[in-house]
Amino acid sequence: MERKQFEEIITDYITGNCSEQQRQEFELFLKNNPTSNQEVEEMKLFLTGFDDEVETSSAMDMKFYSMLNAEEKKNSSVSIFEKLIVVLQAKLVRQLAYTFAILTIGFFVGNTFNSNDNTTFRTLDFAQNETEDVRSQLVLALLEQPSVNKRLQAVNEVSKLSSVTEKVTSALFSTLNSDTNVNVRLSAIEALSNYTETPKVREGLIASIKYQKSPMVQIALADLMVQLQEKKAVKSFEKLIKEKNVNASAKKKMEESIQQIF
Amino acid sequence: MDTLSDNAIMLKVKKGETFRLGLLYERYKKRLFGFFFQMNRDASLSEDLVQNVFIRILKYKHTYTEDSKFVTWVFQIARNTNYDNYRKDKKNRHQDLDTIEYSITTSETIETEITKNENVSTLQLALKQLSEEKRELLLLSKFRELKYKEVGEIIGCTEGAARTKVHRALNELKTVFLTLEKR
Repeated sequence: MERKQFEEIITDYITGNCSEQQRQEFELFLKNNPTSNQEVEEMKLFLTGFDDEVETSSAMDMKFYSMLNAEEKKNSSVSIFEKLIVVLQAKLVRQLAYTFAILTIGFFVGNTFNSNDNTTFRTLDFAQNETEDVRSQLVLALLEQPSVNKRLQAVNEVSKLSSVTEKVTSALFSTLNSDTNVNVRLSAIEALSNYTETPKVREGLIASIKYQKSPMVQIALADLMVQLQEKKAVKSFEKLIKEKNVNASAKKKMEESIQQIF
Repeated sequence: MDTLSDNAIMLKVKKGETFRLGLLYERYKKRLFGFFFQMNRDASLSEDLVQNVFIRILKYKHTYTEDSKFVTWVFQIARNTNYDNYRKDKKNRHQDLDTIEYSITTSETIETEITKNENVSTLQLALKQLSEEKRELLLLSKFRELKYKEVGEIIGCTEGAARTKVHRALNELKTVFLTLEKR
């Protein structure tokens, strides 16, 4: 190590910033040049000589430890508070768990009851279907009764049915075309007018026009055809008008109806 | 317990074992006091500042990380504490020389004590003539655990710049000391 290097490195040496290799070289240089030792000592003094032995007062220690104690207490009170929060949170969690459990149980119980309801609905449906069947049977049976009242009752029963079977409609048509009582025939028209969406019912009604002798029934059918705006009925009415023995007011009504349909 | 590194202790303090700060206080109180006392020449103020450093340590312990080096961190805090005080109390930053005696006690013989005391007094005078920045640099670099790298971290410059600054400061102190001695 040269003198120049020594000067450069001396500060690093006394401040402890030398690498191990530098330090060894430096110390070797000191051995070889004992005069440099003093220089190093001097330099050391510049850095560390000004406050070799500082004594701090016990008052400072007292102050520090009382500060530390106060801080400790503050911390422990904080931790008590935190513990309280933890306990409360645990309670809250438990409450939430219970709530959830009850909700789940409620859900399943409700579900079971719901499916029970479905079966009741199904049985209700089944019962309803059965009553309809019975009612249809009743209608068919009553229509064949000799009593006018019974036959009227039968036609009225039809209106209570939610859907009609072909059997019922054909029975109603035979009533309309061949029943001896005008009122029964009128009721049959009324009953059939509820099912005009069915093409077969419409066709049946049109076909029955030519069989009608009673002016009341003719007029009722004419009204219904106007209501339905049924053009196919026009020919039947025209034929009926041409026939003899047709009531004048019925004829007039039918002519008006033909015009209303067009 | 005493074998624990400063870093390990500080991490425990950070976790909430506040009482462990006592160990760090015992390890650092003299160095910190010396640092402050050299900066302001006021013993009771320096004691207050040491106290402030530890209050700040508790206040900012959350900023301390595993990678931090405690000595660097604590002197960063000390430096800030000193600056804050300096700003607060500009007028009082130069103290009379009579407070110097406060810190000097040695166990050596009276003869060497006198020469040493003389030297020390001159050195104190010389140190006082340096700028605040240079004085601070010398005070920091006299702690052997603070390398240029750490000194740079504390004052906010690179390792190389810190080295240059320390060299310059020390040379200036030497020059001032020698001129004072010649008088």
